[in-house]
Amino acid sequence: MSKYQVPYTALQDQVASIKGELMASFERVIDSGRYILGQNLKAFEEQFAAFCGTRHAAGLANGTCALHLLWRALGLKEGDEVITVPNSFIATASTIALTGAKPVFVDIGPDLNINPDLIQAALTPRTRGIVPVHLTGRPAKMAEINRIAKQHGLFVLEDAAQAVGAKLNGQRVGSWGNAAAFSLHPLKNLFAYGDGGMMTTNDQALFEKMLLARNHGLRTREQCEFWSFNCRLDELQAALLLVHLRNLDTWTEERRALAFRYNDRLMPHVTVPTEAPGEYCVYQTYVIQAERRDDLQRYLNERGVEALVHYRTPIHLQPAAVGLGYAAADFPQTVRACDRILSLPLFPGMSARQQDYVVESITEFYRN
Amino acid sequence: MRVQYNYLPEQFADPEPFISDWRRLIASAEFTLGPFVEAFERKFAGYVGVKHCIGVNNGTDAIILALRALGLGPGDEVITVVNTFYATVGAIVAVGAQPVFVDCDDRFQMDAAQISRAITARTRAILPVHWAGCSPDIPRIMKIAEQHGIPVVEDACPAVGAFVDGRHAGSFGKVNAFSMHPLKPLNVMGDGGMVVTNDDRLADWMTRYRNHGMADRDHIEYWGVNMRLQPFQAIVGSRVLETVNGLVAARNRNARQLDAGLENVAEFVTVPARPAGRVEAYQLYLACFQKRDELLRFLVKHEIEAKVHYPVPLHLQKAAAALGYKRGDFPKAEEQAERIMTLPAHQFITGDQIQFMLDKICEFYS
Repeated sequence: MSKYQVPYTALQDQVASIKGELMASFERVIDSGRYILGQNLKAFEEQFAAFCGTRHAAGLANGTCALHLLWRALGLKEGDEVITVPNSFIATASTIALTGAKPVFVDIGPDLNINPDLIQAALTPRTRGIVPVHLTGRPAKMAEINRIAKQHGLFVLEDAAQAVGAKLNGQRVGSWGNAAAFSLHPLKNLFAYGDGGMMTTNDQALFEKMLLARNHGLRTREQCEFWSFNCRLDELQAALLLVHLRNLDTWTEERRALAFRYNDRLMPHVTVPTEAPGEYCVYQTYVIQAERRDDLQRYLNERGVEALVHYRTPIHLQPAAVGLGYAAADFPQTVRACDRILSLPLFPGMSARQQDYVVESITEFYRN
Repeated sequence: MRVQYNYLPEQFADPEPFISDWRRLIASAEFTLGPFVEAFERKFAGYVGVKHCIGVNNGTDAIILALRALGLGPGDEVITVVNTFYATVGAIVAVGAQPVFVDCDDRFQMDAAQISRAITARTRAILPVHWAGCSPDIPRIMKIAEQHGIPVVEDACPAVGAFVDGRHAGSFGKVNAFSMHPLKPLNVMGDGGMVVTNDDRLADWMTRYRNHGMADRDHIEYWGVNMRLQPFQAIVGSRVLETVNGLVAARNRNARQLDAGLENVAEFVTVPARPAGRVEAYQLYLACFQKRDELLRFLVKHEIEAKVHYPVPLHLQKAAAALGYKRGDFPKAEEQAERIMTLPAHQFITGDQIQFMLDKICEFYS
């Protein structure tokens, strides 16, 4: 039981209505004795690709593995540069850095995603790709990004870790770039009961390489094409994900309804997330921007509302990034956002009463 | 009579305990590291007899993490054995280091006598493998490593339940790796792995590196990865660990019966020596057979699910092309690749099934 009156998520409640289906799937996998790369994974991959509107999807151990393995498959190496944003989860940058390449940051726009107008200035002859992050489930400006990438022959790898189901002009994220990485971590809209990840692409050759790359580079049990990793999505998780995928659209609609309800009620007090024309956001996190953020968070936490910050320290100011040589002032919009952002509880199954309590608490805070 | 290789439906015939584990996990909502993983890590460290255990996503990640912890990178060489699973080499290459192979001995294990010759100024680790759940001459390998001041990383992936002179496999080297893949003695209904060490500093570094380099939720000290052990796998592992000594004993009983029976066809079949002071875990029961491919077909026809691990040695794989080896470099491994075969000898194989296999093998050679 959460110590919070309004917890950040409530997975157990969310899946209560499909518990029977989940347990039956779970038991079928146990009985099958097939726990690695089986039929459930294959079915999930096919359905996930169909959902995203891509030709291919491959299950991977987690979202970080998805990014990392994609970069390895694309041959990213020391001396290369990849453009991305400093306001994301650390894995967006670490997966670039760990190949030996350099993450090159550009600042964000008012949508908290990469500002396409700033990409041009960050390009060098060593730039190999761009990683737009669909942060919080809001799609990045893919049309502009793709135009720049095409002009300069760059690879676009969408970091869709937080954005499964999000759309731009009716087209799902994960189908805009050359490839995309998804996370299925328990805090994601489509989640496994532990770590999980996916990659999508329309590129047949890249897809086939990824299938080998996630399984030791094995063409067959006896034939190793290249040395590689073990980065597989477990069969058991895939079986449960199949059930979740059938419910995803319903869950997403519920998230959106809750987000709009928050927006209406919070607008007078804080900056609420908006949707530009053509955007369909999935609110993996519902992030407001607030004055006196730290005080507000403390106030909410004390009143039993589990509000969190994603993320308090931008990547370019992490100790891990010291070698990249950035200063705080290099990305003023990111730094400003980091001081103001607050993620409020929002989850399928959240009651109006719970939501009203959060709203009242915030209203109360700004009255004082 | 059928003799099946895959025993998982039998091992997990009663799903109830695991279903109740699953319910417990969901109720806890602890899906990212947390108490179940920590409890299993402590339990496993205790079982192996080491100070620290760090749960990771699989055995490959375990070796990668061990090599990273020792600071290995481009320009460094790692000595390992040429007959191992692809992942041993995959892990060495993953950190940017160069694998240097030595041949195996008649027990299918790293030939300790060849290690010294393979050492160069760039050798930064020796990586013996407890192949098939049996151990190489670890005391001798440790002595050579100490003489040269080179750390040992044990690939004990297949060897939970194996002991050398009363010490568990994977408790000798500086940082050592285990797998919990479904076909390992300790298995977890999916992928899982562990790294063990007695070194506090390395344990601390690895604990953070496997989780994005996080000191805490808001502070990333260094670029890290996500190679976390899953809580459900930790719960299953914790349960199965209780049964490991029993299932290894059953496998030893089966291995002894096979060893004895195969003596009757000793002119066609070579069973490896069984040195004193060892408990072998028999992840695979291996022996060398004349006319192997014909015998394999014959056994499969009689519903005996024998297998070959593996018909192509690593240095002759396409992946190894850049390493510059050629046929003839590792005569023992090459010869064994032609003759080696794996017989089902797991804990659910009965004495009658073993006798049936032995009868068929005798029938084939007569």
